[in-house]
Amino acid sequence: MLKIQNLSKTYPNGTQALKNVSFDVQDGEFLVVIGLSGSGKSTLLRCINRLIEPTEGKIIWDNVDITAAPPAELRHIRRKIGMVFQQFNLVKRSSVMTNVLSGRLGYVNPWTSLLGIWSQEDRQRAIQALDRVGIADKAHSRADALSGGQQQRVGIARALMQDPKLILADEPVASLDPVLSHSILQYLEQLNKEGITVICSLHFLDLVHRYATRVVALKDGVKVFEGSAKEIDRAKFKEIYGEEAQEVRAASL
Amino acid sequence: MPTARILRNTLITALVIAAFAVSYRVTEADFPRLFLDLPKGKELLTAFLTPDVFTREVETRTVSLVFPIPCGSAPTEESLPSEGPRLVPSVLCAEPLEKFTLEGYDLQPNSEVVIRWRLPDGRTMTAIRTQTDANGYFTYEVQARPIQSTVDGVASRLEVDTLTPVGELKPSQALKDVLDNMFVTIFMALLSTTLATVIAAPLSFFAASNITRKGCLGTTVYYLFRSFFNLMRSYDPLVMATVFGFWLSFGPFPGFLALTVVTIASLGKLFSEAVENIDPGPVEALQATGAPPLHTVRYGVVPQVVPDFISYIIYHWDINVRISTIIGFVGGGGIGYYLNLSINDFKWHQAGTAIWAIVIVVWAMDFLSSDIRKRLT
Amino acid sequence: MSIETATRRPVVRSGIASFFLPGLGQFLLGERYRGGGILLGFVVMLGTTVWYGKPLWYAAPILIWLWNIWDAISLANGRARSILLPLLFGLAAAYGIGWQVVEIDFSKANMDRALAILRPMTRPDFVQPRREVNQMWVPVQVPCSSQPPAARREDAGRAAMVIPDCGGVGETLIVNVTGMWADAETNVFWQNPIGNPLMLGEGEITMLTLTTDENGSLTTTIRVPSTALVAAPDPTLPQFHRVYFEQYRPTGGYELSFIGNEVLKGALATVSMALMATGLAMLFAIPLSFLAARNLMSGNPVTYAVYVAVRTLLNILRSIESLIIAIIFVVIVGLGPFAGMLALALHSVAALGKLYSEVIEGIDPGPIEAIRATGANWLQVVRYAVIPQIIPPFTAFTIYRWDINVRSATVIGLVGGGGIGFLLIELIRVNNMRGVSAVFIAIAFIVIVLDYVSAKLRERLV
Repeated sequence: MLKIQNLSKTYPNGTQALKNVSFDVQDGEFLVVIGLSGSGKSTLLRCINRLIEPTEGKIIWDNVDITAAPPAELRHIRRKIGMVFQQFNLVKRSSVMTNVLSGRLGYVNPWTSLLGIWSQEDRQRAIQALDRVGIADKAHSRADALSGGQQQRVGIARALMQDPKLILADEPVASLDPVLSHSILQYLEQLNKEGITVICSLHFLDLVHRYATRVVALKDGVKVFEGSAKEIDRAKFKEIYGEEAQEVRAASL
Repeated sequence: MPTARILRNTLITALVIAAFAVSYRVTEADFPRLFLDLPKGKELLTAFLTPDVFTREVETRTVSLVFPIPCGSAPTEESLPSEGPRLVPSVLCAEPLEKFTLEGYDLQPNSEVVIRWRLPDGRTMTAIRTQTDANGYFTYEVQARPIQSTVDGVASRLEVDTLTPVGELKPSQALKDVLDNMFVTIFMALLSTTLATVIAAPLSFFAASNITRKGCLGTTVYYLFRSFFNLMRSYDPLVMATVFGFWLSFGPFPGFLALTVVTIASLGKLFSEAVENIDPGPVEALQATGAPPLHTVRYGVVPQVVPDFISYIIYHWDINVRISTIIGFVGGGGIGYYLNLSINDFKWHQAGTAIWAIVIVVWAMDFLSSDIRKRLT
Repeated sequence: MSIETATRRPVVRSGIASFFLPGLGQFLLGERYRGGGILLGFVVMLGTTVWYGKPLWYAAPILIWLWNIWDAISLANGRARSILLPLLFGLAAAYGIGWQVVEIDFSKANMDRALAILRPMTRPDFVQPRREVNQMWVPVQVPCSSQPPAARREDAGRAAMVIPDCGGVGETLIVNVTGMWADAETNVFWQNPIGNPLMLGEGEITMLTLTTDENGSLTTTIRVPSTALVAAPDPTLPQFHRVYFEQYRPTGGYELSFIGNEVLKGALATVSMALMATGLAMLFAIPLSFLAARNLMSGNPVTYAVYVAVRTLLNILRSIESLIIAIIFVVIVGLGPFAGMLALALHSVAALGKLYSEVIEGIDPGPIEAIRATGANWLQVVRYAVIPQIIPPFTAFTIYRWDINVRSATVIGLVGGGGIGFLLIELIRVNNMRGVSAVFIAIAFIVIVLDYVSAKLRERLV
């Protein structure tokens, strides 16, 4: 279980990205974080694996305080938390295979991997991961030769290599067209059904309705809603997104 | 507002004019002298334009006659031959420093002529060079140079060599030497670029803000490396070579080291900028997988910067070839050293060969490097 | 059977082809780039080893040749061999030969000597404590005439004398001075009639330094220096030499040292040389650049010929370093900053001419078309459509060139072109490392400051 307690983040330039946010995530949930751009979704996700250091508050995962972990232990914790990014964050000039293998870096022998030598077992695992997202045939292409949807699938395969218990997905479909969005989210849903907790930030409400088991909404760094997707009515919607917002459906784009 | 602007512009113009006026004085500019002395340069330029590339075997034929100085110190030539290659002086003997006319008949036509004195002890002195015409005739006013040349009744002789080119054209010694030295130069550039790359590539990461500039220690290291690169980069390799030459004495080695040091700084700076311009996404992704810092760099940064690095290395090899052609002027070694020697010995044709070789190599490298870099991107 | 011969033939053929000409087998199998690359690599390697002439290194081209045959045969069997192996042979030979040719020998890097050079460099000779001088001298005749005048002199309360009044080379004299500063170190030295100082200390190579007593007087014996008459036209003619007494005391604060002053002058000359050269180069490069712009000159065959000629000239000039050009100008106008300035200018004409012409080639053709459509002639088109577009980039490139020229000007003195480089080589020659250090600091300062200024100026322009 992941407990987020009184989390706040103030950037050095004074911006308060998160203000006293608290909520719990049960194992096996598909939790979606919604909110406008700049509402603190990305900061929240990155605080969980401490890519961004929170200013105040605690994050406790399976009774371990992530926020207090020293660097070596933090890396140990991060191994179990996969992350999927909006911009895929692949090394474009490296092959798909290398990109996927790099998800394993927290586990392998530091010296051989520095030389780019990987065990047969890891390679096998990479092929399996790619097979799961349906692009095993692209293993030896360069990452930038792939389409956006395929690149995101490589991103998921990389996260799978970590053998994660938790996946953080930061706007995983914001750079993709609606049709591809569903295919990517279906992979995440599949993983979720296999027992991996997923915390995902999303833009489009229809996607939220379709995939989320629970929703947390942020506005200007403050948690303004927590509950199931069905509870988001017109009033709640206006509260989260502001008076002028119109609900847009991903499928209608 | 317009007044202020006019004032500002006037001020800037005045400053620029003043700067040029000061510069004119400081540089001791003397344009009339340039034009008056331009003929001096003409000889030089002609020599440079006719480099010493090919030679022919030269056949040397010598004719000589006894020429006592002063008169009466030794017997003169009894009779001058009237046919065949022969020398005819206007007088048969002369007082020291007296001038007389020397004519040569039926020598090798269109050949270079070297007139000299052969002293009784076998030494020679004063070579005058002239040219025979199509009939093998020449005339030249000669001064009786040796002050007292007769020793123990043996008079000195007047000797005339005719040098006739015969046989096939073949590469001259200068061309061979230039090629030899050019090899040294190119290797110097190759090795210094390689060594500099090996050192600069890892160091550049310390001078990249996105990698190093974290925490107190990191920031210190970052500024340390950055200022080291900036400082060393401000020296021309030749300036460095003066000190290295002083330390390691003569030869290509100090030039190589100086070039390496400056290249480390220059490449280090370029590399660190390439590292700073990478996409931070993959680095973040790797951190999120729990990869150790070194691995984050190895898998997240290195693959992104390799093409830029290669492009800069090739670019620098081009520059280093250019510099190593002249670094020999101060440190010794390579074509620059050879050029310096030729110029100090007033061997302008030889210098011309070296200059042409430099032009060709620099040109070729320029073309090659820009072509390869174009393909890379 | 027939299938076997069909596959065997290209195997044998390409093997044989590559045996006789490296890369030919690969070429015939359709791998044209591979074949060409192998041939080129082989020829370069062979040329290098033959030139170097040490038999050991022939192994490299031979191994490449063997690999090439193997590769050709494998290729015919449908499998290319990795290029890594011949690359390794080639690089090993190249670096091995290079290492020897460049005479790399790190054992020559004597650290004691390095320290001896570096230690004085930590104390750059730029400023010195401000001090005041108390100087007194007395004339003395060398060699003696029949009636030498008294070797005495009084000045501002100080008196000095030599006994006897004259002397020959190597003779001992007693010198006495009174009225100097009390208890102060005093340098005693000789000065010949031309004004050159000569040392009187141990072996005539050190300064004779003594201390005055509490009354400010001093008495000592000296020897007339052995070199006292070296510069005299006739050593038998008596002439007046001088014995000097010199005291210093700090007056607080600092002042520029002699070397520091020279460094400042050199730095000014360097920057000035670069400025003059850039200005001069600009004047010549602007008209030339129009002639070297393809879009303006490709109208008819005559102008195109001019374009090609100017371009070629600029390209040749550009590949001759300004240092080499400087040598020529040193011969023509003599040593000094003028020669260096001319060399920089000539090189810059070529460099700027190329940059300018590229600017002209890259301008927007729209305005040209528009002005031409109004019936304007060539000159009017240039004036109204071209010049307004090119002024900012021209200025930016000129400032950039000035920046580069300052860098080059620091070295042009090494061949006699004046400026700070000339000072540097002089100081190295006399082993004045403190001065060298001052020069290095000055160079770094000039270059870094100008780099910054030029970058800022260019930023404002574009």
